[in-house]
Amino acid sequence: MLLRLPASLHYPITVTSLLKRPGDAVERDGALFWYIYQTTVEEGDGLGNRVEVKRKFPTRFESTVDGEIVQWKIAKGDVITGPVDVVEIDEPCAHEVQYGGLCAECGKDMTEATYNTEVMDSYRAPIQMAHDNTTLTVSEKEATRVEEDAKRRLLASRRLSLVVDLDQTIIHATVDPTVGDWKEDKDNPNYEALKGVRQFQLIDDGPGMRGCWYYIKLRPGLEDFLQNVAELYELHIYTMGTRAYAQNIADIIDPTRKLFGDRILSRDESGSLTAKNLQRLFPVDTKMVVIIDDRGDVWRWSPNLIKVSPYDFFVGIGDINSSFLPKKQDIGETNKAVKAAKEKEKRAKREPANGEAGKALAENDVSALEQLVTMGGGDDPSLLKEQANAQEETIMHQVEDRPLLQKQKELDAEDDASADGSESSSSVDESQEAAKQRHHLLEDHDKELFQLQDRLEQVHATFFDEYDKKRTHALGGRVAALRGEKAAHKDKDVDLKLVPDIKDIMPQFKRSVLGGVVLVFSGVLPLGTDTQNADISLWAKSFGVIIATKINARTTHLVAGRNRTAKVREATRYPNVKIVTTQWLLDSLTSWKHLDEVPYLLPVHPDDRGEPLSPGSRELAESSWLSSSDEATGSLWADDEGNEEMFKSSGLDDTAVPGYDEDEQAAVHDELKEFLGSDDESESDTEAWGEESAEGSKKRKRGEGTEGEGEEESGEDNGDESDPKGSRLSQRIKRSYERSTGLREVATAPSSASENDRARPSGPQGEEPGAEQAGSQPDQDDGNPENPDYDDDELEREMLAAFEDDDPQAEEEAAAENG
Amino acid sequence: MFFLKEETKIISLHPSYFGPNMRDYLVARLNEEEEGRCTGDHFVICVMDMVDIGEGRVIPSSGNAEYTIKYRAIIWKPFRGETVDAVVTSVKPTGIFTLAGPLSVFIARKNIPGDIKWEPNTVPPQYTDHADQVIEKGTSLRLKILGVKPDVAAINAIGTIKEDYLGPL
Repeated sequence: MLLRLPASLHYPITVTSLLKRPGDAVERDGALFWYIYQTTVEEGDGLGNRVEVKRKFPTRFESTVDGEIVQWKIAKGDVITGPVDVVEIDEPCAHEVQYGGLCAECGKDMTEATYNTEVMDSYRAPIQMAHDNTTLTVSEKEATRVEEDAKRRLLASRRLSLVVDLDQTIIHATVDPTVGDWKEDKDNPNYEALKGVRQFQLIDDGPGMRGCWYYIKLRPGLEDFLQNVAELYELHIYTMGTRAYAQNIADIIDPTRKLFGDRILSRDESGSLTAKNLQRLFPVDTKMVVIIDDRGDVWRWSPNLIKVSPYDFFVGIGDINSSFLPKKQDIGETNKAVKAAKEKEKRAKREPANGEAGKALAENDVSALEQLVTMGGGDDPSLLKEQANAQEETIMHQVEDRPLLQKQKELDAEDDASADGSESSSSVDESQEAAKQRHHLLEDHDKELFQLQDRLEQVHATFFDEYDKKRTHALGGRVAALRGEKAAHKDKDVDLKLVPDIKDIMPQFKRSVLGGVVLVFSGVLPLGTDTQNADISLWAKSFGVIIATKINARTTHLVAGRNRTAKVREATRYPNVKIVTTQWLLDSLTSWKHLDEVPYLLPVHPDDRGEPLSPGSRELAESSWLSSSDEATGSLWADDEGNEEMFKSSGLDDTAVPGYDEDEQAAVHDELKEFLGSDDESESDTEAWGEESAEGSKKRKRGEGTEGEGEEESGEDNGDESDPKGSRLSQRIKRSYERSTGLREVATAPSSASENDRARPSGPQGEEPGAEQAGSQPDQDDGNPENPDYDDDELEREMLAAFEDDDPQAEEEAAAENG
Repeated sequence: MFFLKEETKIISLHPSYFGPNMRDYLVARLNEEEEGRCTGDHFVICVMDMVDIGEGRVIPSSGNAEYTIKYRAIIWKPFRGETVDAVVTSVKPTGIFTLAGPLSVFIARKNIPGDIKWEPNTVPPQYTDHADQVIEKGTSLRLKILGVKPDVAAINAIGTIKEDYLGPL
């Protein structure tokens, strides 16, 4: 080891003598050389005066390590001006493997520190390598060595590493005791489905939950899957469950331990309860590692990850080992509801989708914050404990609440209700029989693992194709180079330098799947979520999908969670946009194929069919211009969906504006007036305008939510919360726009001056000019499309001035109305 | 190394236990709390007997009675250089984890004789010299302790089998 001078010495220093010669043994804290340094000190001159003088002091430099001197890098008389290497010392032990604060090779205490310690010895081995032990740490060198050995072995047997998550990936677990009851009860409708469910008891699982039974459902086809995949991959378990839990699961899925061996990493060793880290298992490089997990966020969407769709057998239970993780933004949930609705309309009602989606929305803000907090403090033991306690609590709740039983009860109640309705006249016998054929809650028709196996085989094949290609190439080249030389290359069957990287291969492979797809979500993500960083978006992006927020000529797919949204309406006007259900995206993502859209096409309501745009039309071409103008005016229109829509639906063509003559302008004015006059048909916009209160906006929301317009509306509300003033302004402007949006619909409404007046704000005086401003605003905007920035800024100033005064008043009014 | 050590412990007793079986209860408490405990310096293997229970003193304001108990216990303090028998708990490419009674001992690869090699392809993985010596999970080993480090409520130790008469039994 090269010993380097610390930066804390009084440079420059002059070496006066070397105390050791090469070959000499040196101890820790033993003197190596003498040197002189110069510094200023305060001295008395004997007369009571104190003066600062420069003095030279001799001192010794001491070794920080044990060993034998190999070579000096300095000589007597050298003047050293900064940190340099002084001497090379051969250490008897480099302390590369440490166990519990001891060097595992020489048994020395690594945590000792003296006045001379620059870096603790324990930092020499910072990497945890063992799956099931955190006290063993190794140095980077040792880790590399071990890993290279492992890689050679894997390459020789043509395998890769596969990190497998347990919960909801290959199994589904619950502690709901109802499962136990149902398993015993032959008459229970769920008896059949529960036949394959295994169980075990964790005795010492923390206080308060002694002897809790865990019920484990293996994902269909798991046994074959593991057997087949184990031939191509070396399997590791990485779970958020406890050690005991992981061991028990391993006993179930792999009783002989042929598949997993003891390569099991649980949360006891992971160091974090909220994130998984591949470096924990493969500290040096992850070129040959593939992960399968049902959650991408815990892996931070690692390129090694194959995300699988979560296995949800025990309905509504979720993942019992991740209750402290941020709520999953589960798209599948809503989807299932849709699917179920097709099969049994009844069932759809009690699917968790509706209730839970709402809850998830409400919790969204909290959980995002929680995520930051928990991620940040992953190593804090008290936090870990807290999380573990929270975990136990959830499990306790599940044991007590028996969510499955509740669900089945609801289901039965619905069955009963329908049975009563239809068979009220029939005999008692019949209705009893009907009761026996109760609907069962648990269904088992998951196909994920079969697809997953195909994908893993694909990845494996691609990887080794690449590897073989590189290797034959390299060998050929080398043979040519070595021609004539006697020492031909040894038949080294593996060459680690040639190993391709899964992180390159898999994303490349995946990106080709849905490459070129530009999609827009509608009614899929809860409002306020970042469309680019939501789980589903990140997942889709890893397959080459481009997520856009607005529909334009480049859009290829509209993924709609609900029917009859504004975007669906808009998308019908573009012939090249395919309107599909979320299931299409999910199925494509899970099967790694660009699936045919036809079976997934969303049935568009005839009323929503807009006039198709001809491919060459100006509007199509210009839609891209529009979106760029949106960016330009981004501050004001940041989340203003209505903006672009307005231009189109009002039939106003911006590029046509230079020829926009007085007549047309007047016609628009008339139309606008007509519209303003009809307050009962205009989606209660004007009503809200008149009241200008919280209540008013609520009314509007109610009125429009039913018509599938809720998205933009609640988006507005959202903004309202975050920035009251700014968004109030943009809200008003938008409303003025929305009026023109309504132009089409109210074209036939009767026009009358009195009605027009009524529609005007009846609020405080100060609002009047603002309203006028807003009313004439679209004209202005249309008149100056070349200069939207200027236009908007001016408008903003004017409106701000106008609204500044009356805002508090309006709020008071609102409060009065509410109270 | 094993020692017979006299120690004292203060046990505080709730008033609900005051009664004829108080002494039994104290013994039970002592055994439960002391036996198997690791102080960081040694392991308490077994409480032999109570030398002196002393007089209980009722603590003002809580009503609990406090007993200062003197007892003798067999303790085990592992020393560097001590030779112990241990059972292998798991084998890793970096070394072997073993348990010598309550003490976990790690044997690094460097402290395993050179002819005993890591063999990952067997099930379960093992260290073997491809002759009669096989070290896998469950194997009994005789090892020498190279270093001991006390922790808060545990002791970590490093061992070696790279000496004569050490290794699988």
